[in-house]
Amino acid sequence: MAPPPPPPQWVIDLNSPPAAKKASGIPDPPGFTSTGSKKQQGSSKTAVRAPLTADEMDTLKLKKAWEVALAPVKQLPMTAIMMYMSGNSLQIFSIMMVGMAFKNPIMGLMATNQAFEKLESEGTKGKITMVKAVYVAMQLLALALGIWKVNGMGLLPTTRSDWLAWETARDPLEIAVPAF
Amino acid sequence: MRLPINLLALTLSILPSTLAVFADEAYSIDYHNELLGLPQPHTTFFHRPQSEEKATLLYTLSDLGVLGAVHPGTGKVVWRQLLDGEGYLRAVEGEGTVVSGTGKSVQAWDAMNGREQWGNSFAGVVKDVEVMETVAAGEGAKDILALFEEEGKAVLRRLKGASGDVKWEYHDPTEDLPLQVSTNVKDVFVVSLHGARGGYNIKVSTLDPLTGKKVNEYTLTAKADVHAPEDVLLVGANSAAPIIAWADKTIKNLKVNLLGKSGSLQTLPLKESDGDIVKVTIHAPELVQSLPHFLVHTHSAVSNRADVYHIDLASGNINKEYELPKLAGKGAVSTSSQDANVYFTRTTQDEVLIVSSASHGILGRWPVKVDKQHGSFVHGVAEVVKKGADSYAVRSAILTSEEDWVMVRNGAEAWTRVEGLSGAVAAEWAEIPESESLAKTLEAEAHSNPLSAYIHRCKRHINDLQYLPGYIQELPFRILSSVLSSDVTSHKPGALVRDNFGFNKLVIVATQRGRVYGLDSGSQGAVVWTLKAFDIPAGKQWDVKGIWVDSSTGVATIRGADGEYVLVQTLTGKVNEKMEPGNWPQVQSAAVVDSPSGPWILPIGLNGNPGDIPSEWAPKDNLVVQGKDGEVKGLKFAVQGSLAVPITAWTFQPATGQKIVNVISRPAHDPVASIGRVLPDRTVMYKYLSPNLVLVTAVSDSAATATFYLLDSVSGAVLYSTTHEGVDTTQPITSAISENWFVYSLWSDILPTTSGLPASKGYQIVVSELYESDVPNDRGPLGANVNSSSLEPSDVANAEPALPHVISQTYLVPESISHMSVTQTGQGITVRQLLCTLTSSDSIIGIPRTILNPSRPVGRDPTPAEAEEGLFRYQPVIEFDPKMILTHKREVIGVKDVIATPALLESTSLVFAYGIDVFGTRVAPSAAFDILGKSFNKMSLVATVAALGVGVAVLGPMVRKKQINGRWQTA
Repeated sequence: MAPPPPPPQWVIDLNSPPAAKKASGIPDPPGFTSTGSKKQQGSSKTAVRAPLTADEMDTLKLKKAWEVALAPVKQLPMTAIMMYMSGNSLQIFSIMMVGMAFKNPIMGLMATNQAFEKLESEGTKGKITMVKAVYVAMQLLALALGIWKVNGMGLLPTTRSDWLAWETARDPLEIAVPAF
Repeated sequence: MRLPINLLALTLSILPSTLAVFADEAYSIDYHNELLGLPQPHTTFFHRPQSEEKATLLYTLSDLGVLGAVHPGTGKVVWRQLLDGEGYLRAVEGEGTVVSGTGKSVQAWDAMNGREQWGNSFAGVVKDVEVMETVAAGEGAKDILALFEEEGKAVLRRLKGASGDVKWEYHDPTEDLPLQVSTNVKDVFVVSLHGARGGYNIKVSTLDPLTGKKVNEYTLTAKADVHAPEDVLLVGANSAAPIIAWADKTIKNLKVNLLGKSGSLQTLPLKESDGDIVKVTIHAPELVQSLPHFLVHTHSAVSNRADVYHIDLASGNINKEYELPKLAGKGAVSTSSQDANVYFTRTTQDEVLIVSSASHGILGRWPVKVDKQHGSFVHGVAEVVKKGADSYAVRSAILTSEEDWVMVRNGAEAWTRVEGLSGAVAAEWAEIPESESLAKTLEAEAHSNPLSAYIHRCKRHINDLQYLPGYIQELPFRILSSVLSSDVTSHKPGALVRDNFGFNKLVIVATQRGRVYGLDSGSQGAVVWTLKAFDIPAGKQWDVKGIWVDSSTGVATIRGADGEYVLVQTLTGKVNEKMEPGNWPQVQSAAVVDSPSGPWILPIGLNGNPGDIPSEWAPKDNLVVQGKDGEVKGLKFAVQGSLAVPITAWTFQPATGQKIVNVISRPAHDPVASIGRVLPDRTVMYKYLSPNLVLVTAVSDSAATATFYLLDSVSGAVLYSTTHEGVDTTQPITSAISENWFVYSLWSDILPTTSGLPASKGYQIVVSELYESDVPNDRGPLGANVNSSSLEPSDVANAEPALPHVISQTYLVPESISHMSVTQTGQGITVRQLLCTLTSSDSIIGIPRTILNPSRPVGRDPTPAEAEEGLFRYQPVIEFDPKMILTHKREVIGVKDVIATPALLESTSLVFAYGIDVFGTRVAPSAAFDILGKSFNKMSLVATVAALGVGVAVLGPMVRKKQINGRWQTA
């Protein structure tokens, strides 16, 4: 039996590619990742990171807490514009807007403690109360916007005409029967 | 491209159903009796409106002055004209014209369509109208002879048949009472009564028909027998031999004179059969070409008989030819002529006979099959048609004693017109009484203690179980009929039961002839019962002062002006109690008052004096009455021992020169849903709501002013008054008041003195609203008081009454309004409608209150907030939109009054108008918001639900199978 013929050159080239000639001036083509250099980078970064101190942690948490507290007020301009645009008539869109305008602040108020649960710690306890108060104030502001909207739609019983149905006519003390 | 086509198809499919909203409700919820009044024997006849055609119409001029043509086959009115009162009606033979003489005018009408051909008015009063027959035919239109009474003297005029112009006039120089005019072609005879009332001689003047000059005159002595014009029986009209006849004092003999023959006064004996003769009538043909025969019909108390006489034209002798035998009961005889032949039709309770005037052989005989409730036959007209050699047909329109006009065709009843219902003078709504036993049980349960009431109710329900199988059996039919039939009120005819919507109510109607009717508003105003309450003498009208329906007992009390009253059960029409006129003092008006012994209807005597009343029947409240000269008085009852004596608390007299023409007050049922009106800025104007408001209309004819005074009827204080200048006081001035507003209409002219504001000439409606204060959100001087007193308005002594703040607005309307009333609903939530009667178009219009709002912005468009409150721009003219006309295209003539009552549905008010005609309808002023309309397709709703059900049933298993397959195949 004759020995098998040697594999063609392209097969040999495919199996053992030539070593990458790292030319300093030429960058890698986009999408090409050289496995060797990546490993080096990753190992060097983890080495730089150091654990945070408790103080730093608290500062960060407080920062985060402020972000949470001010989140409702950031939506307000947008909500206000949408409310203004949707008009005062009773339509499905404006009713949904009003519904959301009441639902979000009330849900937010009820979930005040949950919103700050993760950010609360021994160090931030004093300051977070203040943040919570701001949070509540912001939610109330959003609620006020909803009430303003409802008032604009004429749904608040603020005028005399809203209570007219509960007013009664005066009872006449004398009656005269017409006979003509 | 596909979408627009689809859209178009969709639009087209929607369109017809939207257009059909109005058409299907009209003429089904409303009803109208086109009435004429009672036909009179001498003004009712068959006549061919087109001489070349054989078809005839039935013409009559009724006791109410309605001239009408009725289709003899169907009984429907072909045309009607309302003339001024009773009169005379003649047909021009061979021409399509009928001529009427009423009041001061003679008019000729196209017999086919009722259009006026000519009319001519004179100074005197028409006493008779006759057609001047000509010898030769085709000389143009036949002339008319019209007899007038001018200043007590007879004036005869011959009017040209084509134009109504006078050809000649004959003035009788003596002051004799003109009675009748006759002609026999050669001569014209004027018959008048000479002497004084109580004993007349009869004077006959013969005139030349061409010139109108008197040819001859003679007098017949009849002083002992003729006391009044009615005693002269018949002055045969246009026959070849006109006769005049009268019965002697004892009704034993008939005296007959052939007109023109001065010497011949013949005495015909009247044969008595069953006691004294009570009534004699003579029937003769009214055509020149007819044979000179006549029939004398005599009535005794229990039977009637007739004799036929022939006149010998040459000698002037009158001979008895044959007699018709005595028949029991009352009967009607009528004459009809065909060419020279004369037929007499005798209709009695049992049979119809026709005989020829020439011989006594009976030409036709039919048994009478007429509903017995029409009563006996009083008088009628007949038309005999010779069909073959020996076969005849006859139809006669007969007035019965129950005031129905019945067409008897060959003995059978063809149609009936309830003419007695015409000329209604008063009407009132009545609830259909609930079945008495149930009402009693419910009352007993309400008064016993809860436990025993509960046990009683359980027992009752168990007892009711026996009706359950029948109810279940009936259920599919009920469901099916409610789905298929679209009419919500359809109920079994004949059964008078309340319905769930309150549409079935009774209307009690009293007519001027002393008759009372009960109508069912739920079944197109069908007559449920009728009764003759009182016999009103001819020429008089029953003056009904008040009808009070006691719904707890189901009894209606009707009070008349002469002190008479009758108590009628509303369900059956049975008389419970009756007082004939004249036994009690005269009554000026009547009012329902509440006394310690319960409510009752209190008669107010002349000059507004109710008289002394036993104290247990004394009214708890004050009274407002009108005094001798129309002044308004407030009365209070002071108990003195066992009697309550009326004391005048206040009297209101208008300014000098003014006379009070109308006084109105708020309706007895006038609920107010909201005590304030909401302004566009959501503030409230509080309504001035007082039950004691009286609106007095006073006019001054000399100053041409109309003044309206708003009074407080407890204290007599004038709350508001306004005067209109340049008012035509002869035009109708009407008003209505309800809730916190009043409205009136009048005709006003532009005055040269008025400057500044633009004025307008024409009919106007002025609407005014009353408020407690001119400031919004303010309840006026009374503040937050829970009570209001007219006598002591506040704690401060002698304080002024709280005056209302009044907002008024004027609108121009195109027509005069003769009567106004306001719709009523159960809670007053529905916006009211003003119901106005328009005389010139014979219709009734419902004007919504939103149009008549005095707060409509003037000279500018409303702001969006105002538009939200239903205000729209003020337009000075209210156009009478045909959609607002409740009567649609019907002509409702002679409407005296319109009454409204609430249905059980809040949206709906029942309306009933009476007068000559009777009209009723239902109105929903704020649209029928609480009931499905007729256009609601129950069938398609049921079909949709059924289709969905089928779809679910088919698709359900398919989907389930697919889900199961899906799970197994993917796994």
